[in-house]
Amino acid sequence: MDENTAFTWLLMVPMISSAVIYLTGRIYSRSLKNGKRTNPARWLALMSLLVTGVFLYFVITYVFSTGQTHYQNFGDVWFRFDGISMMLSLLVLVLGILVTIYSFAYMGKESGEEKFYALLVMMIGAINGLGCALDLFNLWVWFEVMTISSIVLVAFYKDQAASLEAGVKYLIQSATGSVMVVIGIALIFLETGTLNIEMLRMSISAPSPFLIVGGALLVIGFGVKIAMVPLHTWLPDAHSQAPSGISAMLSGVVIEVGLIALLRALGGIALSDGRWGYLLIGFGVLNMIVGNLLALRQKEVKRMLAYSSLSHVGYMLLGFGVLMSLNGLLAGVGAIFHLMTHGLMKSLAFLAAGVFLYNFHISKGSHKALVLDDLNGASKKYPFTAFAFSVALLSLSGLPPLAGFMSKWQLLAGVVQTQNTIMIIVVIFAGLMSVLSLGYYAPLVNRMYRKEPADIVMEGKSVSIWMYIPMALLTLAVVVLGFVPSILYWLTGPAGYSLFIFFGQ
Amino acid sequence: MNISTSMIVLIAVIGLFGVGLYCLLITRNLIRLLVGLQIMVKGAMLVLVFVGQSQGQPSLGQSMALTVIVADTIVAVVGLALAVQVKRNVGTLDIADISKLKR
Repeated sequence: MDENTAFTWLLMVPMISSAVIYLTGRIYSRSLKNGKRTNPARWLALMSLLVTGVFLYFVITYVFSTGQTHYQNFGDVWFRFDGISMMLSLLVLVLGILVTIYSFAYMGKESGEEKFYALLVMMIGAINGLGCALDLFNLWVWFEVMTISSIVLVAFYKDQAASLEAGVKYLIQSATGSVMVVIGIALIFLETGTLNIEMLRMSISAPSPFLIVGGALLVIGFGVKIAMVPLHTWLPDAHSQAPSGISAMLSGVVIEVGLIALLRALGGIALSDGRWGYLLIGFGVLNMIVGNLLALRQKEVKRMLAYSSLSHVGYMLLGFGVLMSLNGLLAGVGAIFHLMTHGLMKSLAFLAAGVFLYNFHISKGSHKALVLDDLNGASKKYPFTAFAFSVALLSLSGLPPLAGFMSKWQLLAGVVQTQNTIMIIVVIFAGLMSVLSLGYYAPLVNRMYRKEPADIVMEGKSVSIWMYIPMALLTLAVVVLGFVPSILYWLTGPAGYSLFIFFGQ
Repeated sequence: MNISTSMIVLIAVIGLFGVGLYCLLITRNLIRLLVGLQIMVKGAMLVLVFVGQSQGQPSLGQSMALTVIVADTIVAVVGLALAVQVKRNVGTLDIADISKLKR
C-alpha cells in the first residue's frame, strides 16, 4: 500500500468511525427499547481500532524499509511520522484495544454505551494525530480534541455527584491550561513568523523575552495535563472517578501524551544550550516526592494508584530533562522505555482494581469507592486477578525481574552516564523514592494474600472472560519485558533519537 | 503596524486574560466560572488575530482564531452540560457544595 494513503487513513479511520459508532449505537438502542441484545457499538469500536492498527503496520513497515522519517502535508499543515509517533501510536492502539475488550463486560450494563466507545475511539485517534503533528497549532488542536473527549469520559457516570465533581475540576483546569498554550503559541509565532517546529528551530538564534514567556506558558499549559506538581489537583479525582478502563487510558497514556506534546513544542524553541531541561528535572523531583508522600496516606485503591502516577511522571520528567539539557541520549531512551512500561503496568493495575470494583460494588448498582480493606484476602476468591494486580504493583514499585525495574534501571543508568554530580545525587534520591513507593504497594499485596477474606470478597460476583483476556495479555507483557527488555529496543531507540535531534548539539 | 497599536493590543490581551483568571479564582458559581473561561479565551483569540496581522499573514491568524472559537464552544457546551447535571443531581451550582472528594 502507498505510504501516503496508509498514513492518511491512520489519522482518518478513528475520527470517522467515532461518528459512525455513535450513530449506529444510538439508532440501534432507540429501535430496540427493551431488548437485551448487545449493542453493535462495541464491535464497531474494536473493528475500527484493528483497522487503524493495520494502517499503522503499513506505515511502520514503510518507515523501517526506507530508514527515513515519513513527512506528509495536508495543505500547509505538515505531519512527521518519526520514532516518537511510532511509539505513541503503537502504545495507544495496544492499550486502546485491550481497554475496549475489557469494557465489553465493564460497561455492558450502562446506558449510553455507544457514547463511551465513540469517545474512546476519538481519544485514541486524537493521540495518534498528536504524535505526528509537526505544526504547533495543529498540535494544540489534537491536544484539545483529546482533552474534550477525556473530560466527557471522566464524567461518564453523570448521575454521580463525585464523578461530576471530578469532571468539573478537570474541565476548568484543562481549559485554563489550553488557553495558556494558545497564548504561548501566539507569542512564539509573533517572534518567529512560523509554526512549523523544524522551521522554528532554524529561525531562532538567541533567546528573546517573547520566546521565554511563550515557552513558560507552554510549560504551564501542558503541565496541567502532565500533572506537574502544583498543577496536579485534578488528577486523583479524575483518575479515581472515571470508569476503570478510562482510568487505565488516562493514567497509562493521556498524561504521558501531554509530556510528548510539551517536548515537541519545546523542541522547536529550545536552543541547544537551553535551560528548559533543568526546569523539567526540578518538576520531576517535586513530582516524585509529592506523589509518593500523598500516595502513602490514601485509603482508596484507585486514588492511591492515581497518586503513584504522579511519581512515575516524575521519573519521565527527569529522563527527558536530562535529554534536553545535558545531552543524555540514553536517559531519554530510558524515559521512553519507562513511558511504555508504565503504560502497560499502570493499565494492568487499574484494570485489575477495576475488576474488584466492578464485582464488589458496580455490578450491585452501588458507586462506592474501592477502599483498601475491601481487598483483604481477595486471592482466595479471585486468584488470577490478585496475581495480576500483584505483578502490576510489584512492577510499579520497581522490583526485579519485572518490567518496571528494567525501565527504571535504564533511565537512572542513563542519567548517571552524564557524569554530573548533581544528577548523581538526583539519581540516588530517585532510587530512594522507588524504595519508599514499596511502602504503599507492598501492603496491598500483603492484604490480598495473607489476610482473612472480607465479607465483601466472598459475596463478590465471578469475573467475565472479557476482563480476563486483557489482564492476561498485560501480565504476560509485564513479566516478559522484565526478563527480555531488548524486545522493545527497536521502538525505544528510534523514539529517543528522534527527540535527541531536536535538543542535541 | 506601529508600536503603540501593538502595545494597546497586548495590554488588552493581558487585561482580558487577567479578568478571566480573577473571575476563575474568586467566583464559586459554576456558570460564572465558565464565563470566566470564555473571557480568557477571548484574550487568546485577540492575540491570534493580532499576531497574524503583524506577521503579514492575516488569513492564518484569523483561521487560527476561528479554530479556537470552535474548540472553545465545545468546551463551553461540555461545561454547561456538566452544570445541568450538577444542578439536577446535587441541587446547587455552588462549587463549594460539590467539593466532597478529599485530597
